[in-house]
Amino acid sequence: MPSTLAEFSEQLANTVERAGQSVVSILEGGRTGVSGTVWREGFGVAVNHTIHGLEDVTVILPSGKETKASVTGRDPGIDIAILKLPTETPAAVLSDDSSARTGEIVLSVGRRGTGGLAATYGLISAIGGPWRTSSGGRVDRWFRLDLNPFPGFSGGSIINAGGEVLGIATSGPGRSAAVVPASTVSRIVDQLLKHGRTVRGYIGIGVQPVAFPEDAWQKLGISGGRGLLIIAVAPGSAATEAGLMLGDVIVAIDGKTLQSGASLQSILDSENVGKSVSLDVVRGGQLLKVAVTVREKPAS
Amino acid sequence: MNRNSQVGISLSAAVSQVAGDMREIAVRVSGSKGRHGSGTVWRPGLIVTNAHVANSQVHDVEFAAGMRARGRLVARDRELDLAALAVSTAFTRIADIRSASHLRAGEVVLALGNPFNGRGSITTGIVHCPVGKSPWIIADIRLAPGYSGGPLAETSGAVIGINSMIVGPLGYAITSDAVEEFLSRFHLSEAA
Repeated sequence: MPSTLAEFSEQLANTVERAGQSVVSILEGGRTGVSGTVWREGFGVAVNHTIHGLEDVTVILPSGKETKASVTGRDPGIDIAILKLPTETPAAVLSDDSSARTGEIVLSVGRRGTGGLAATYGLISAIGGPWRTSSGGRVDRWFRLDLNPFPGFSGGSIINAGGEVLGIATSGPGRSAAVVPASTVSRIVDQLLKHGRTVRGYIGIGVQPVAFPEDAWQKLGISGGRGLLIIAVAPGSAATEAGLMLGDVIVAIDGKTLQSGASLQSILDSENVGKSVSLDVVRGGQLLKVAVTVREKPAS
Repeated sequence: MNRNSQVGISLSAAVSQVAGDMREIAVRVSGSKGRHGSGTVWRPGLIVTNAHVANSQVHDVEFAAGMRARGRLVARDRELDLAALAVSTAFTRIADIRSASHLRAGEVVLALGNPFNGRGSITTGIVHCPVGKSPWIIADIRLAPGYSGGPLAETSGAVIGINSMIVGPLGYAITSDAVEEFLSRFHLSEAA
């Protein structure tokens, strides 16, 4: 009986409609408008780069009401911004994204200008561990989605079949649909609401990856032969105080040898601010240990 | 038995059943220039297709059962991309037509057509956004050349539009309402 299919269809449309009660339209965003998701009562989340440089935006609420919203916080690392919204719009129901499974049905729900809800349908095609954005933000989980993006979908909700928000829709490589997981968004929203900004660690050096020739790393007794050459040291920074110098090569962090493609990003997460990190450094052919205290990154 | 597998199996059976029903009201349309597409049996003796499919005066119309007929062009609107063909064979099922105005984002839709020389291919998707005043249904559905002119249906098999265009990842169909308006403009509506 096709009634099963009719029920499935009805449930999908109901799920989209319900999730849409927490999805707003941001008229100025992107080229033709973008979406936003109400994350907490009175606060919405949008994709930062889509509303770059805007202090106020025009928002269409699910009720159809048009209102102005101020951008109260931004995290360029995760590419999320927070909007102050009227409290009349209910916050989205969030999922525990750690329990999402490959093959689960997902829907992308956005709101396009005054034209109402828009949705696409797909599934989670792969799930991976934590990763870093190109600007250094830590994302707790990686989802590959088999889901069509659509104009203005950024900032809208990616929901599961239960209508819970898996995360915020954003564009991935090659015009694919990507998602910032709910756990990551919540972490950033908490920080932005508490401090008005997200805290990032800073030690004040610029580095470039280098590789030691085999005889050199064997002589030094280090494994792997990968290093990060210090090419800049900021005056007055934690690095200067710790005595780090231009030309030093970092080969291990807290006793852990650097792997191929390694970066210093892992020691710059907010929870490391105020903590001391031990670096193994090669200077003038000698291996030495330097302790650096991670500070909060000054506003740029 | 696992409940999830039951849901999966019954859903796919339901899709096959609707596809079977849709095949009976869909035709293959070939023009004189060697191009082909699909068509939908809108009323007894009347096939609706796209203007870009119906590009000559006479067409070869092939029904699901293999029966063939000559389709004579009786109406064409290039801007709306709609055309109507008259066929002398009236002994086929006709589409159950329903307005597209009630469609909600997320509702399941099915498209049937003849892409890549295939016969009666089915594809499924969802309504992308409500139709509003537009003559288009935008659906998150994977169309291909050859689906043009074929029916877009809701889960009951009732036809809500004519598949017409691919824009990025989305499929566009002309609403049944716009088709009815087009037919009445050419005095081909049921009452006439």
